[in-house]
Amino acid sequence: MMRLRLPLGIAGVLLVLFGLFRLLTQVPIFPLVILALWLVGALVIHDGILSPIVVAVGWAIARVVPPRARRYLQGALIMAALVTVIAIPMIYRQGSQPKSKSILLQNYGGNLTLLLGLIAALTLLAYAVRVARDHGVGDHPDQRPGAANTPHPDGGSSTA
Amino acid sequence: MRSTVVTARLGRVLGILFGICFVTGLLSHYQYSPWSWLPQPASPVWGYRLSQGLHVATGTASIPLLLVKLWSVYPNLFRWPPARSVKHALERASVAILVASALVQVFTGFFNVLNWYPWPWDFVSVHRFLGYVLIGSILLHVAVKLPDIKYGLQSKVADGDVLTEIPWSENPQAHSNAGPLPPPPTPALSRRGLLTATGAGIGVVVVTSVGQTLRPLEPLGLLAIRQPKKGPQGVPVNRTAAQAKIPGAAVGATWVLRVVGPAPYSLTLADIEAMAMHEERFPINCVEGWSAGAQWRGLRLLDVVTRAGGSADSRVRVVSLERKGTFKSSIVEGPQVSAALLATHINGERLNLDHGYPLRLIAPNRAGVFNTKWLTRIEVT
Repeated sequence: MMRLRLPLGIAGVLLVLFGLFRLLTQVPIFPLVILALWLVGALVIHDGILSPIVVAVGWAIARVVPPRARRYLQGALIMAALVTVIAIPMIYRQGSQPKSKSILLQNYGGNLTLLLGLIAALTLLAYAVRVARDHGVGDHPDQRPGAANTPHPDGGSSTA
Repeated sequence: MRSTVVTARLGRVLGILFGICFVTGLLSHYQYSPWSWLPQPASPVWGYRLSQGLHVATGTASIPLLLVKLWSVYPNLFRWPPARSVKHALERASVAILVASALVQVFTGFFNVLNWYPWPWDFVSVHRFLGYVLIGSILLHVAVKLPDIKYGLQSKVADGDVLTEIPWSENPQAHSNAGPLPPPPTPALSRRGLLTATGAGIGVVVVTSVGQTLRPLEPLGLLAIRQPKKGPQGVPVNRTAAQAKIPGAAVGATWVLRVVGPAPYSLTLADIEAMAMHEERFPINCVEGWSAGAQWRGLRLLDVVTRAGGSADSRVRVVSLERKGTFKSSIVEGPQVSAALLATHINGERLNLDHGYPLRLIAPNRAGVFNTKWLTRIEVT
Protein backbone atom coordinates (compact mmCIF):
# COMPACT_ATOMS: atom_id res chain seq x y z
CA MET A 1 0.00 0.00 0.00
CA MET A 2 2.99 2.30 0.71
CA ARG A 3 3.79 2.16 -2.98
CA LEU A 4 0.58 4.04 -3.71
CA ARG A 5 0.45 6.24 -0.61
CA LEU A 6 3.85 7.87 -0.95
CA PRO A 7 3.51 9.19 -4.52
CA LEU A 8 -0.09 10.24 -3.81
CA GLY A 9 0.99 12.16 -0.73
CA ILE A 10 3.94 13.82 -2.47
CA ALA A 11 1.79 14.83 -5.45
CA GLY A 12 -0.79 16.22 -3.02
CA VAL A 13 1.73 18.28 -1.06
CA LEU A 14 3.28 19.65 -4.26
CA LEU A 15 -0.15 20.69 -5.62
CA VAL A 16 -1.06 22.38 -2.32
CA LEU A 17 2.27 24.26 -2.29
CA PHE A 18 1.83 25.26 -5.94
CA GLY A 19 -1.67 26.60 -5.26
CA LEU A 20 -0.56 28.48 -2.14
CA PHE A 21 2.46 29.91 -4.00
CA ARG A 22 0.21 31.18 -6.82
CA LEU A 23 -2.23 32.67 -4.31
CA LEU A 24 0.51 34.42 -2.35
CA THR A 25 2.27 35.78 -5.44
CA GLN A 26 -0.70 36.64 -7.69
CA VAL A 27 -3.33 38.00 -5.30
CA PRO A 28 -2.81 41.50 -3.84
CA ILE A 29 -2.41 41.71 -0.08
CA PHE A 30 -5.84 43.12 0.84
CA PRO A 31 -7.94 40.52 -1.00
CA LEU A 32 -5.52 37.86 0.25
CA VAL A 33 -6.20 38.80 3.88
CA ILE A 34 -9.95 38.74 3.25
CA LEU A 35 -9.59 35.33 1.57
CA ALA A 36 -7.74 34.05 4.65
CA LEU A 37 -10.58 35.37 6.81
CA TRP A 38 -13.10 33.54 4.59
CA LEU A 39 -11.15 30.27 4.94
CA VAL A 40 -10.99 30.56 8.73
CA GLY A 41 -14.58 31.81 8.82
CA ALA A 42 -15.77 28.77 6.85
CA LEU A 43 -14.26 26.46 9.49
CA VAL A 44 -15.71 28.50 12.35
CA ILE A 45 -19.20 28.71 10.83
CA HIS A 46 -19.27 25.04 9.86
CA ASP A 47 -17.67 23.50 12.96
CA GLY A 48 -18.83 26.06 15.50
CA ILE A 49 -22.37 26.91 14.41
CA LEU A 50 -23.83 24.66 11.70
CA SER A 51 -22.66 21.27 13.00
CA PRO A 52 -23.67 21.89 16.66
CA ILE A 53 -27.16 22.88 15.44
CA VAL A 54 -27.43 19.63 13.45
CA VAL A 55 -26.20 17.61 16.45
CA ALA A 56 -28.65 19.39 18.75
CA VAL A 57 -31.59 18.73 16.41
CA GLY A 58 -30.60 15.06 16.17
CA TRP A 59 -30.34 14.82 19.93
CA ALA A 60 -33.74 16.47 20.46
CA ILE A 61 -35.42 14.17 17.93
CA ALA A 62 -33.91 11.11 19.59
CA ARG A 63 -35.41 12.16 22.91
CA VAL A 64 -38.87 13.05 21.69
CA VAL A 65 -39.72 10.84 18.72
CA PRO A 66 -40.13 7.02 19.05
CA PRO A 67 -37.72 4.92 16.92
CA ARG A 68 -40.11 3.84 14.14
CA ALA A 69 -41.26 7.39 13.36
CA ARG A 70 -37.79 8.79 14.02
CA ARG A 71 -36.33 6.77 11.16
CA TYR A 72 -38.64 8.49 8.67
CA LEU A 73 -38.32 11.92 10.24
CA GLN A 74 -34.52 11.74 10.09
CA GLY A 75 -34.57 10.68 6.44
CA ALA A 76 -36.98 13.47 5.53
CA LEU A 77 -34.96 16.07 7.46
CA ILE A 78 -31.73 15.04 5.72
CA MET A 79 -33.33 15.40 2.27
CA ALA A 80 -35.00 18.68 3.23
CA ALA A 81 -31.79 20.16 4.63
CA LEU A 82 -29.75 19.29 1.54
CA VAL A 83 -32.29 20.88 -0.80
CA THR A 84 -32.68 23.94 1.45
CA VAL A 85 -28.92 24.62 1.55
CA ILE A 86 -28.94 25.06 -2.24
CA ALA A 87 -32.20 27.01 -2.36
CA ILE A 88 -31.41 29.65 0.29
CA PRO A 89 -28.78 31.58 -1.72
CA MET A 90 -31.18 31.53 -4.71
CA ILE A 91 -34.00 32.96 -2.61
CA TYR A 92 -31.63 35.68 -1.42
CA ARG A 93 -30.52 36.51 -4.97
CA GLN A 94 -33.80 36.12 -6.88
CA GLY A 95 -34.72 39.09 -9.04
CA SER A 96 -31.32 40.77 -8.54
CA GLN A 97 -30.28 40.79 -12.22
CA PRO A 98 -31.59 42.39 -15.44
CA LYS A 99 -34.44 40.40 -16.96
CA SER A 100 -32.76 39.66 -20.31
CA LYS A 101 -30.11 37.63 -18.52
CA SER A 102 -32.91 35.16 -17.79
CA ILE A 103 -31.27 34.41 -14.45
CA LEU A 104 -32.95 33.94 -11.04
CA LEU A 105 -36.39 34.78 -12.43
CA GLN A 106 -38.26 32.16 -10.42
CA ASN A 107 -39.98 32.35 -7.06
CA TYR A 108 -37.49 30.09 -5.33
CA GLY A 109 -39.18 30.41 -1.94
CA GLY A 110 -42.37 28.98 -3.44
CA ASN A 111 -40.44 26.30 -5.32
CA LEU A 112 -38.59 25.28 -2.15
CA THR A 113 -41.90 25.05 -0.26
CA LEU A 114 -43.23 22.82 -3.05
CA LEU A 115 -40.18 20.51 -2.89
CA LEU A 116 -40.28 20.33 0.91
CA GLY A 117 -44.03 19.58 0.75
CA LEU A 118 -43.30 16.79 -1.73
CA ILE A 119 -40.60 15.32 0.53
CA ALA A 120 -42.95 15.53 3.52
CA ALA A 121 -45.84 13.92 1.61
CA LEU A 122 -43.73 11.03 0.29
CA THR A 123 -42.21 10.43 3.72
CA LEU A 124 -45.65 10.40 5.37
CA LEU A 125 -46.85 7.96 2.73
CA ALA A 126 -43.87 5.65 3.32
CA TYR A 127 -44.43 5.90 7.08
CA ALA A 128 -48.14 5.11 6.72
CA VAL A 129 -47.31 2.03 4.62
CA ARG A 130 -44.83 0.95 7.30
CA VAL A 131 -47.39 1.34 10.09
CA ALA A 132 -50.05 -0.52 8.10
CA ARG A 133 -47.63 -3.37 7.39
CA ASP A 134 -46.57 -3.59 11.02
CA HIS A 135 -50.24 -3.95 11.98
CA GLY A 136 -50.65 -6.58 9.29
CA VAL A 137 -47.93 -8.77 10.78
CA GLY A 138 -49.15 -8.13 14.31
CA ASP A 139 -49.84 -11.88 14.80
CA HIS A 140 -46.15 -12.67 14.37
CA PRO A 141 -44.27 -10.51 16.87
CA ASP A 142 -40.92 -11.96 15.80
CA GLN A 143 -41.35 -10.34 12.37
CA ARG A 144 -41.71 -6.91 13.84
CA PRO A 145 -38.87 -4.54 13.08
CA GLY A 146 -36.99 -3.58 16.17
CA ALA A 147 -37.41 -7.01 17.76
CA ALA A 148 -34.24 -7.97 19.57
CA ASN A 149 -31.37 -9.00 17.30
CA THR A 150 -33.50 -9.00 14.19
CA PRO A 151 -31.80 -7.01 11.44
CA HIS A 152 -34.17 -4.42 10.08
CA PRO A 153 -35.12 -4.80 6.43
CA ASP A 154 -33.50 -1.38 5.87
CA GLY A 155 -30.40 -3.31 6.65
CA GLY A 156 -28.35 -1.33 9.05
CA SER A 157 -26.92 -1.17 12.47
CA SER A 158 -26.61 2.06 14.26
CA THR A 159 -25.57 3.48 17.54
CA ALA A 160 -24.86 7.09 16.75
CA MET B 1 -24.98 5.99 12.04
CA ARG B 2 -21.44 7.34 11.86
CA SER B 3 -18.92 4.82 10.67
CA THR B 4 -15.80 4.50 8.56
CA VAL B 5 -18.02 2.48 6.22
CA VAL B 6 -20.36 5.44 5.70
CA THR B 7 -17.58 8.05 5.48
CA ALA B 8 -15.62 6.01 2.93
CA ARG B 9 -18.69 5.66 0.71
CA LEU B 10 -19.55 9.36 0.92
CA GLY B 11 -15.89 10.25 0.37
CA ARG B 12 -15.61 8.05 -2.70
CA VAL B 13 -18.43 9.89 -4.46
CA LEU B 14 -17.25 13.30 -3.25
CA GLY B 15 -13.73 12.53 -4.46
CA ILE B 16 -15.08 11.62 -7.90
CA LEU B 17 -17.16 14.83 -8.04
CA PHE B 18 -14.19 16.99 -7.03
CA GLY B 19 -12.03 15.15 -9.57
CA ILE B 20 -14.54 15.93 -12.35
CA CYS B 21 -14.68 19.55 -11.15
CA PHE B 22 -10.89 19.84 -11.23
CA VAL B 23 -10.47 18.36 -14.72
CA THR B 24 -13.37 20.32 -16.26
CA GLY B 25 -12.08 23.40 -14.44
CA LEU B 26 -8.70 22.99 -16.14
CA LEU B 27 -10.49 22.55 -19.49
CA SER B 28 -12.33 25.80 -18.83
CA HIS B 29 -9.08 27.52 -17.87
CA TYR B 30 -7.72 26.34 -21.22
CA GLN B 31 -10.48 28.35 -22.90
CA TYR B 32 -9.07 31.43 -21.18
CA SER B 33 -5.39 30.82 -21.96
CA PRO B 34 -4.60 28.09 -24.49
CA TRP B 35 -1.03 27.28 -25.45
CA SER B 36 -0.18 28.91 -28.78
CA TRP B 37 0.94 25.59 -30.29
CA LEU B 38 -2.34 23.87 -29.34
CA PRO B 39 -5.26 26.21 -30.04
CA GLN B 40 -8.77 25.39 -28.82
CA PRO B 41 -10.32 22.81 -31.18
CA ALA B 42 -13.61 23.63 -32.93
CA SER B 43 -15.02 20.16 -32.42
CA PRO B 44 -16.90 18.56 -30.91
CA VAL B 45 -19.36 21.43 -31.18
CA TRP B 46 -20.80 20.46 -27.77
CA GLY B 47 -17.42 20.08 -26.06
CA TYR B 48 -17.53 23.08 -23.74
CA ARG B 49 -21.28 22.69 -23.28
CA LEU B 50 -20.68 19.25 -21.79
CA SER B 51 -17.54 20.02 -19.79
CA GLN B 52 -18.76 23.23 -18.21
CA GLY B 53 -22.26 21.87 -17.65
CA LEU B 54 -20.60 19.00 -15.77
CA HIS B 55 -18.38 21.41 -13.85
CA VAL B 56 -21.29 23.43 -12.49
CA ALA B 57 -23.61 20.44 -11.98
CA THR B 58 -21.01 18.38 -10.07
CA GLY B 59 -19.90 21.45 -8.13
CA THR B 60 -23.50 22.16 -7.08
CA ALA B 61 -24.09 18.51 -6.14
CA SER B 62 -20.89 18.49 -4.09
CA ILE B 63 -22.18 21.20 -1.73
CA PRO B 64 -24.77 19.01 0.06
CA LEU B 65 -22.52 15.96 -0.22
CA LEU B 66 -19.59 17.80 1.36
CA LEU B 67 -21.79 18.83 4.29
CA VAL B 68 -22.91 15.22 4.90
CA LYS B 69 -19.33 13.96 4.55
CA LEU B 70 -18.13 16.48 7.14
CA TRP B 71 -21.05 15.57 9.42
CA SER B 72 -19.97 11.93 9.25
CA VAL B 73 -16.55 12.74 10.77
CA TYR B 74 -17.54 15.63 13.03
CA PRO B 75 -16.69 13.76 16.32
CA ASN B 76 -13.08 13.51 15.09
CA LEU B 77 -12.76 17.23 15.71
CA PHE B 78 -12.95 16.58 19.45
CA ARG B 79 -10.43 13.76 19.67
CA TRP B 80 -8.26 14.02 22.76
CA PRO B 81 -5.37 14.72 22.89
CA PRO B 82 -5.67 17.01 19.84
CA ALA B 83 -2.44 15.62 18.44
CA ARG B 84 -0.62 12.45 19.41
CA SER B 85 2.58 13.29 17.54
CA VAL B 86 4.09 15.86 15.21
CA LYS B 87 2.99 13.70 12.30
CA HIS B 88 -0.57 13.63 13.61
CA ALA B 89 -0.55 17.41 14.16
CA LEU B 90 0.55 17.88 10.53
CA GLU B 91 -2.21 15.56 9.35
CA ARG B 92 -4.83 17.55 11.26
CA ALA B 93 -3.46 20.79 9.83
CA SER B 94 -3.77 19.34 6.33
CA VAL B 95 -7.38 18.35 7.06
CA ALA B 96 -8.06 21.93 8.19
CA ILE B 97 -6.70 23.18 4.85
CA LEU B 98 -8.81 20.59 3.02
CA VAL B 99 -12.05 21.48 4.81
CA ALA B 100 -11.55 25.26 4.61
CA SER B 101 -10.57 25.25 0.93
CA ALA B 102 -13.38 22.82 0.02
CA LEU B 103 -16.06 24.92 1.76
CA VAL B 104 -14.82 28.21 0.30
CA GLN B 105 -14.31 26.69 -3.16
CA VAL B 106 -17.80 25.19 -3.54
CA PHE B 107 -19.65 28.12 -2.00
CA THR B 108 -17.80 30.88 -3.90
CA GLY B 109 -18.23 28.82 -7.08
CA PHE B 110 -21.97 28.63 -6.42
CA PHE B 111 -22.18 32.36 -5.62
CA ASN B 112 -20.40 33.11 -8.91
CA VAL B 113 -23.11 31.20 -10.77
CA LEU B 114 -25.61 33.40 -8.92
CA ASN B 115 -23.72 36.52 -10.14
CA TRP B 116 -22.98 37.34 -6.53
CA TYR B 117 -19.52 38.54 -5.54
CA PRO B 118 -19.45 39.58 -1.87
CA TRP B 119 -15.61 39.49 -1.82
CA PRO B 120 -12.79 41.76 -3.02
CA TRP B 121 -10.69 39.21 -4.94
CA ASP B 122 -10.71 38.26 -8.62
CA PHE B 123 -12.95 35.19 -8.76
CA VAL B 124 -11.43 33.41 -11.76
CA SER B 125 -7.80 33.31 -10.59
CA VAL B 126 -8.57 32.61 -6.92
CA HIS B 127 -11.00 29.82 -7.91
CA ARG B 128 -8.22 28.25 -9.98
CA PHE B 129 -5.44 28.56 -7.38
CA LEU B 130 -7.74 27.33 -4.62
CA GLY B 131 -8.60 24.39 -6.91
CA TYR B 132 -4.93 23.31 -6.84
CA VAL B 133 -4.88 23.60 -3.04
CA LEU B 134 -8.12 21.62 -2.75
CA ILE B 135 -7.23 18.78 -5.12
CA GLY B 136 -3.73 18.56 -3.58
CA SER B 137 -5.08 18.30 -0.05
CA ILE B 138 -7.56 15.64 -1.24
CA LEU B 139 -4.69 13.56 -2.68
CA LEU B 140 -2.77 13.95 0.58
CA HIS B 141 -5.88 13.05 2.59
CA VAL B 142 -6.45 9.92 0.49
CA ALA B 143 -2.79 8.93 0.94
CA VAL B 144 -3.01 9.35 4.73
CA LYS B 145 -6.37 7.60 5.06
CA LEU B 146 -5.85 4.82 2.52
CA PRO B 147 -6.00 1.96 5.10
CA ASP B 148 -9.26 3.36 6.53
CA ILE B 149 -10.68 3.91 3.04
CA LYS B 150 -9.80 0.35 2.10
CA TYR B 151 -11.40 -0.99 5.28
CA GLY B 152 -14.47 1.22 4.84
CA LEU B 153 -15.11 0.25 1.24
CA GLN B 154 -14.47 -3.46 1.78
CA SER B 155 -16.80 -3.81 4.79
CA LYS B 156 -20.55 -4.21 4.43
CA VAL B 157 -22.54 -1.11 5.36
CA ALA B 158 -24.22 -2.81 8.33
CA ASP B 159 -21.08 -4.52 9.68
CA GLY B 160 -18.53 -1.72 9.69
CA ASP B 161 -17.19 -0.36 12.94
CA VAL B 162 -18.80 2.56 14.66
CA LEU B 163 -16.70 5.68 14.44
CA THR B 164 -15.19 6.32 17.86
CA GLU B 165 -12.48 8.56 19.12
CA ILE B 166 -10.12 5.55 18.79
CA PRO B 167 -9.10 4.64 15.23
CA TRP B 168 -10.66 1.30 14.29
CA SER B 169 -7.27 -0.35 13.90
CA GLU B 170 -6.42 0.40 17.55
CA ASN B 171 -9.86 -0.31 18.96
CA PRO B 172 -10.08 -3.82 20.49
CA GLN B 173 -13.89 -3.63 20.45
CA ALA B 174 -14.07 -2.95 16.73
CA HIS B 175 -15.90 -5.69 14.85
CA SER B 176 -12.97 -6.21 12.58
CA ASN B 177 -10.68 -6.78 15.54
CA ALA B 178 -13.10 -8.65 17.78
CA GLY B 179 -14.24 -11.02 15.04
CA PRO B 180 -17.62 -11.04 13.28
CA LEU B 181 -20.31 -9.74 15.64
CA PRO B 182 -24.03 -9.49 15.04
CA PRO B 183 -24.85 -5.89 14.17
CA PRO B 184 -26.48 -4.04 17.08
CA PRO B 185 -30.23 -3.40 16.71
CA THR B 186 -31.11 -0.19 14.94
CA PRO B 187 -32.99 2.33 17.08
CA ALA B 188 -33.49 4.84 14.28
CA LEU B 189 -32.30 5.59 10.76
CA SER B 190 -29.88 2.94 9.54
CA ARG B 191 -26.63 3.65 7.77
CA ARG B 192 -28.16 2.52 4.52
CA GLY B 193 -31.10 4.79 5.25
CA LEU B 194 -28.70 7.68 5.76
CA LEU B 195 -26.93 7.01 2.45
CA THR B 196 -30.28 6.66 0.68
CA ALA B 197 -31.65 9.92 2.10
CA THR B 198 -28.42 11.72 1.17
CA GLY B 199 -28.57 10.34 -2.36
CA ALA B 200 -32.24 11.28 -2.68
CA GLY B 201 -31.66 14.85 -1.43
CA ILE B 202 -28.75 15.38 -3.83
CA GLY B 203 -30.78 13.73 -6.59
CA VAL B 204 -33.55 16.29 -6.09
CA VAL B 205 -30.98 19.11 -6.27
CA VAL B 206 -29.43 17.76 -9.49
CA VAL B 207 -32.69 16.95 -11.28
CA THR B 208 -34.22 20.34 -10.46
CA SER B 209 -31.12 22.36 -11.40
CA VAL B 210 -29.46 20.84 -14.50
CA GLY B 211 -32.37 21.88 -16.72
CA GLN B 212 -30.39 25.06 -17.39
CA THR B 213 -28.09 23.06 -19.65
CA LEU B 214 -29.87 19.70 -20.14
CA ARG B 215 -32.94 20.86 -22.03
CA PRO B 216 -35.19 17.80 -21.49
CA LEU B 217 -35.07 18.56 -17.74
CA GLU B 218 -35.87 22.27 -18.15
CA PRO B 219 -39.55 21.82 -17.16
CA LEU B 220 -38.46 20.29 -13.83
CA GLY B 221 -36.09 23.18 -13.13
CA LEU B 222 -37.56 24.36 -9.81
CA LEU B 223 -34.04 25.16 -8.63
CA ALA B 224 -32.59 26.05 -12.05
CA ILE B 225 -30.74 29.34 -11.87
CA ARG B 226 -31.17 30.10 -15.58
CA GLN B 227 -34.14 29.32 -17.74
CA PRO B 228 -32.75 29.46 -21.29
CA LYS B 229 -36.23 29.50 -22.88
CA LYS B 230 -37.11 32.72 -21.10
CA GLY B 231 -34.13 34.57 -22.61
CA PRO B 232 -34.72 37.15 -25.34
CA GLN B 233 -34.88 35.43 -28.75
CA GLY B 234 -34.75 32.08 -26.92
CA VAL B 235 -31.24 32.53 -25.51
CA PRO B 236 -30.17 34.11 -22.20
CA VAL B 237 -27.79 37.06 -22.13
CA ASN B 238 -24.85 37.17 -19.74
CA ARG B 239 -23.82 40.78 -20.16
CA THR B 240 -26.43 43.26 -21.30
CA ALA B 241 -25.72 46.25 -23.55
CA ALA B 242 -26.44 48.49 -20.57
CA GLN B 243 -23.92 46.61 -18.38
CA ALA B 244 -21.33 46.86 -21.19
CA LYS B 245 -22.16 50.58 -21.62
CA ILE B 246 -22.73 50.32 -25.37
CA PRO B 247 -23.83 53.77 -26.58
CA GLY B 248 -26.91 53.53 -28.81
CA ALA B 249 -25.41 55.93 -31.38
CA ALA B 250 -22.38 53.66 -31.93
CA VAL B 251 -24.55 50.93 -33.44
CA GLY B 252 -26.63 53.29 -35.61
CA ALA B 253 -26.46 53.99 -39.34
CA THR B 254 -22.84 55.18 -39.13
CA TRP B 255 -21.61 51.82 -37.83
CA VAL B 256 -18.97 50.10 -40.00
CA LEU B 257 -16.89 46.99 -39.48
CA ARG B 258 -13.21 47.73 -40.03
CA VAL B 259 -11.07 44.77 -41.09
CA VAL B 260 -7.37 45.34 -40.38
CA GLY B 261 -4.74 43.17 -42.06
CA PRO B 262 -2.43 42.97 -45.10
CA ALA B 263 -5.34 44.27 -47.24
CA PRO B 264 -7.52 46.38 -44.93
CA TYR B 265 -11.11 47.30 -45.82
CA SER B 266 -14.43 48.28 -44.26
CA LEU B 267 -17.92 46.83 -44.45
CA THR B 268 -21.12 48.81 -43.90
CA LEU B 269 -24.23 47.38 -42.30
CA ALA B 270 -25.78 47.03 -45.77
CA ASP B 271 -22.70 45.12 -47.07
CA ILE B 272 -22.86 42.78 -44.14
CA GLU B 273 -26.59 42.10 -44.41
CA ALA B 274 -26.15 41.31 -48.12
CA MET B 275 -23.37 38.84 -47.28
CA ALA B 276 -25.02 37.18 -44.25
CA MET B 277 -26.19 34.00 -45.97
CA HIS B 278 -24.45 31.31 -43.99
CA GLU B 279 -26.35 29.31 -41.35
CA GLU B 280 -24.99 27.21 -38.48
CA ARG B 281 -26.46 25.54 -35.43
CA PHE B 282 -24.14 26.17 -32.47
CA PRO B 283 -24.89 26.10 -28.75
CA ILE B 284 -23.82 29.06 -26.68
CA ASN B 285 -22.19 27.69 -23.53
CA CYS B 286 -21.67 29.89 -20.53
CA VAL B 287 -18.89 29.45 -18.01
CA GLU B 288 -21.69 29.70 -15.43
CA GLY B 289 -23.02 26.32 -16.49
CA TRP B 290 -26.03 27.13 -18.64
CA SER B 291 -26.18 26.52 -22.36
CA ALA B 292 -28.67 26.93 -25.17
CA GLY B 293 -28.60 25.71 -28.75
CA ALA B 294 -29.48 28.31 -31.38
CA GLN B 295 -29.68 28.74 -35.14
CA TRP B 296 -27.26 31.46 -36.22
CA ARG B 297 -27.00 33.29 -39.57
CA GLY B 298 -24.14 35.48 -40.71
CA LEU B 299 -20.84 35.66 -42.56
CA ARG B 300 -18.10 33.11 -42.32
CA LEU B 301 -15.19 34.63 -40.38
CA LEU B 302 -12.80 32.86 -42.78
CA ASP B 303 -14.29 34.69 -45.81
CA VAL B 304 -13.75 38.07 -44.09
CA VAL B 305 -10.21 37.10 -43.06
CA THR B 306 -9.26 35.81 -46.52
CA ARG B 307 -10.43 39.03 -48.17
CA ALA B 308 -8.11 40.97 -45.82
CA GLY B 309 -5.16 38.89 -47.02
CA GLY B 310 -5.24 36.30 -44.22
CA SER B 311 -5.90 32.56 -44.25
CA ALA B 312 -7.21 29.71 -42.08
CA ASP B 313 -3.85 29.83 -40.24
CA SER B 314 -4.22 33.51 -39.30
CA ARG B 315 -4.48 34.67 -35.70
CA VAL B 316 -7.58 36.87 -35.56
CA ARG B 317 -8.54 39.37 -32.88
CA VAL B 318 -12.19 40.44 -32.78
CA VAL B 319 -12.78 43.76 -31.02
CA SER B 320 -16.00 45.00 -29.41
CA LEU B 321 -17.40 48.50 -29.06
CA GLU B 322 -17.17 47.82 -25.34
CA ARG B 323 -14.60 50.20 -23.85
CA LYS B 324 -13.81 48.42 -20.58
CA GLY B 325 -13.87 44.89 -19.29
CA THR B 326 -11.93 41.66 -19.67
CA PHE B 327 -14.00 40.50 -22.61
CA LYS B 328 -13.96 43.56 -24.88
CA SER B 329 -11.93 41.53 -27.39
CA SER B 330 -10.99 37.90 -27.96
CA ILE B 331 -8.60 35.83 -30.05
CA VAL B 332 -9.74 33.31 -32.67
CA GLU B 333 -7.05 30.96 -33.88
CA GLY B 334 -6.50 27.43 -35.15
CA PRO B 335 -9.52 25.36 -36.20
CA GLN B 336 -12.00 27.95 -34.85
CA VAL B 337 -11.03 30.49 -37.57
CA SER B 338 -12.59 28.22 -40.20
CA ALA B 339 -15.59 27.27 -38.05
CA ALA B 340 -16.59 30.67 -36.64
CA LEU B 341 -19.45 32.84 -37.82
CA LEU B 342 -19.90 36.61 -37.65
CA ALA B 343 -23.58 36.47 -36.79
CA THR B 344 -26.32 38.95 -37.66
CA HIS B 345 -29.31 36.70 -36.90
CA ILE B 346 -30.30 34.36 -34.09
CA ASN B 347 -33.18 31.86 -34.36
CA GLY B 348 -34.39 33.63 -37.54
CA GLU B 349 -34.49 37.12 -35.99
CA ARG B 350 -32.13 40.05 -36.24
CA LEU B 351 -29.83 40.01 -33.17
CA ASN B 352 -31.18 42.36 -30.53
CA LEU B 353 -28.89 44.83 -28.78
CA ASP B 354 -28.33 42.62 -25.72
CA HIS B 355 -27.29 39.74 -28.00
CA GLY B 356 -24.66 41.91 -29.71
CA TYR B 357 -26.38 43.87 -32.51
CA PRO B 358 -25.22 44.64 -35.14
CA LEU B 359 -22.62 41.85 -35.32
CA ARG B 360 -21.19 39.24 -32.96
CA LEU B 361 -18.85 36.29 -33.05
CA ILE B 362 -20.17 32.76 -32.52
CA ALA B 363 -17.95 29.68 -32.68
CA PRO B 364 -18.35 26.04 -31.65
CA ASN B 365 -16.76 24.62 -28.47
CA ARG B 366 -16.04 28.14 -27.24
CA ALA B 367 -16.81 29.64 -23.83
CA GLY B 368 -19.72 32.10 -24.10
CA VAL B 369 -17.73 35.10 -22.89
CA PHE B 370 -15.33 34.76 -25.82
CA ASN B 371 -18.12 35.01 -28.38
CA THR B 372 -17.50 38.75 -28.51
CA LYS B 373 -20.53 41.02 -29.09
CA TRP B 374 -20.99 44.48 -30.68
CA LEU B 375 -18.04 43.96 -33.04
CA THR B 376 -16.35 47.02 -34.52
CA ARG B 377 -13.00 45.72 -35.74
CA ILE B 378 -11.39 42.49 -36.97
CA GLU B 379 -7.59 42.34 -36.78
CA VAL B 380 -5.88 39.72 -38.95
CA THR B 381 -2.25 38.80 -38.27
